[in-house]
Amino acid sequence: MSRAINIGVWAGVFGVFIIVLFGGQSVLAAGLICGLLAGLLAGARTEGETMQAGVRDGLISGAVAGVILIVSNILRNTFITTLVGQNLPSTGEVLSFGIAGAAISMVLGAALGAAHFLPGRRSSYATWAILGLVILIYPFLDYSIQLGWLGIVITGLIFILLALGLNIVVGYAGLLDLGYAAFFAIGAYTAAFLSSSYIGDQLNFANPRVSFWLVIFIAAAMAGLFGLILGAPTLPLRGDYLAIVTLGFGEIVPIVFRNLDTFGITIFGHEFIKTFNLTGGELGISPIDPPKLPGLNFADRSDQRPWYFLLVLIILFSIFLINRLRGSRLGRAWMAMREDELAASSMGINIVRTKLLAFAMGASFSGFGGAYFGAFVGGAFPSSFDFSVSVIVLCMVILGGLGNIPGVIVGGLIIELSDRLFLPQITLLLQSIAQHNANNPSLSGLQRFDPTLYRTGLFGLVLVLMMQLRPEGLLPNARRKLELHADQASPGEAAQSQTDLYDVETEAASS
Amino acid sequence: MALLELKNVHSYYGNIHALKGISLTVDKGEIVTLIGSNGAGKSTTLRTISGILPPRVGQITLAGARIDQVPAHKVVELGVLQSPEGRRIFPRLTVRENLEMGAFTRKDKAGIAEDVERVFGLFPRLRERTVQKGGTLSGGEQQMLAIGRALMGRPTVLLLDEPSMGLAPVLVEQIFSIIKDINATGTTILLVEQNALMALSIAHRGYVLQTGEIVLQDSASNLQSNEMVQKAYLGIE
Ligand SMILES: Nc1ncnc2c1ncn2[C@@H]1O[C@H](COP(=O)(O)OP(=O)(O)OP(=O)(O)O)[C@@H](O)[C@H]1O
Ligand SMILES: [Mg+2]
Repeated sequence: MSRAINIGVWAGVFGVFIIVLFGGQSVLAAGLICGLLAGLLAGARTEGETMQAGVRDGLISGAVAGVILIVSNILRNTFITTLVGQNLPSTGEVLSFGIAGAAISMVLGAALGAAHFLPGRRSSYATWAILGLVILIYPFLDYSIQLGWLGIVITGLIFILLALGLNIVVGYAGLLDLGYAAFFAIGAYTAAFLSSSYIGDQLNFANPRVSFWLVIFIAAAMAGLFGLILGAPTLPLRGDYLAIVTLGFGEIVPIVFRNLDTFGITIFGHEFIKTFNLTGGELGISPIDPPKLPGLNFADRSDQRPWYFLLVLIILFSIFLINRLRGSRLGRAWMAMREDELAASSMGINIVRTKLLAFAMGASFSGFGGAYFGAFVGGAFPSSFDFSVSVIVLCMVILGGLGNIPGVIVGGLIIELSDRLFLPQITLLLQSIAQHNANNPSLSGLQRFDPTLYRTGLFGLVLVLMMQLRPEGLLPNARRKLELHADQASPGEAAQSQTDLYDVETEAASS
Repeated sequence: MALLELKNVHSYYGNIHALKGISLTVDKGEIVTLIGSNGAGKSTTLRTISGILPPRVGQITLAGARIDQVPAHKVVELGVLQSPEGRRIFPRLTVRENLEMGAFTRKDKAGIAEDVERVFGLFPRLRERTVQKGGTLSGGEQQMLAIGRALMGRPTVLLLDEPSMGLAPVLVEQIFSIIKDINATGTTILLVEQNALMALSIAHRGYVLQTGEIVLQDSASNLQSNEMVQKAYLGIE
């Protein structure tokens, strides 16, 4: 009971954060998030054993969060809305939206709490069905209450696609790759060359435009090919050395794209290829054609829902694919190679092939993501592919819990949303407070304060804290948790091993 | 014709000349042991056979076919499996996963399951620990796992590198009797050992290795009574 209330309070805190930042009708989105948090956590942490207990705890958590939402929505509109110069909604509107948000939170909480206690596999089916429903209705909610998150959520999802791919390289095969952004760039530029008029414009002919549906696969193949090419020289390298070399590749590729603005081949004074601007240099290449599908309009930038749904489908398919891969012979070879390369080759595993396939498969996810990203933002620009991309994607993989797919997704969403949505929104909020209170010296000073400038520092801080507090990642698998928190192994395991005749380490006995 | 034969094999680590013209044969169904002091090149010989360290000079043949330039993973497919020095089990995989990894080159699911049972029959202690992670097994259990894992590949030739290392005396006896059992079921064994006394007691023939060269070869019983061997490796004055 008190645990359920606790969870509700924590979920509510997230809600408050969103309401304070965005105001307006964002309380509905806050309700959605609170309900998810409350229901999932309450279900997993409830002391009860029955479905009734699950419903009760989910409901309590959701309700507690809901009350916090209503109150904070009122406070937000009383104190902050006018301060930042937004239009003040009527009291009835504030109340009714607050209550609607609370209701969403309660219903979701109870439903997820109940789903947790369904027998056997039906429990996870039901949980996924509810999550699926939320994923399905979110963009409509976003669109109708003009939340404006969708574009950023889509970018976040593209990064999640990258993280899923990098997870193959780092999590499964154990190869630390710090240059993953290179393949992202290769994918985006492949899309730019094939489905824009750029090359034709430069060389004065009408180049054929390849359809998006083909381009994403060509881009994936291209990136995979470069994965092989860049992977080959790193074959004898391990650990730190591999990391340094991949870091180098990650730096080189965007620079090459940046500098190919004067491309041409002249040998002994004979111009084989006339010098021209191949990549658009710093300005990049735009526009890239959007996908075409009867009935859907991808070209309308004000409604990005088709992009969202297409991407969700792609990610679902990728998860399916990666899961299959993980259990396959190749997946097992990756795991063995990660553990001990020499022993793996003594088992008959072809290390060269296994390693290169890890690089190539990881890279093709990145290339795929790059082409999608290019089409989505409508261009390929060298500045989108710098080192920070590699770092952020790697952090998603590690923060989520190395090798763990749901962890990678949750970790990825949190990082991307904090970086591209919440931090800029805080800045916007402070700026508008300053603007609308120009005559108040203590507030107008906020004009000079820009939290986005601290993003790298904040990011570093989060990393340090995470590694100190939860080195196993947000959603670790039971295994890694045991490995890293050896001192908390269950007493039963220790007792069992004491009956053994000779030494057995008990710390990480898994079951 | 010998099942496994090395002719004038030279191996190098960079420019360190570790094997200086090794020639030896292992016949089908035999246990042949390789004894020698630390750094003599025993492990290097096994690494050279298994393709991890291809020889620069010389020939290695398996049932008449050259394998000296065959890559390590292909040598495994040809039926030569190694339980390497220092065990090198996969620390974060469970006992069962480790064993299944040993059968990586095989695709017959039923046969693999059968062999897991066979290994559990040889090493009942492993059966109790199917879901425990390799890295948390005791040294002796890890050794059992390493041998079991090599057996999972249904070897025609099994290369064992110091299977008794770090084991309690009772367990050493047990391991050697298991090795004998494995041999009795038709697996040819090349056994590298520090414990020359035990090795010679179960082997048919033996080779004595000194700084990369074979200095003596004979039947196991003759080696046991050889004065030089007694002095240098059996600790008998
Ligand atoms: N990776 C390596 N790099 C360089 N030299 C090596 C390497 N491995 C072994 N050596 C050298 O090769 C020689 C033979 O080593 P090897 O491991 O074959 O000895 P060994 O007979 O197995 O000894 P032990 O009984 O101690 O295991 C030694 O002089 C050793 O220093
Ligand atoms: Mg050795």
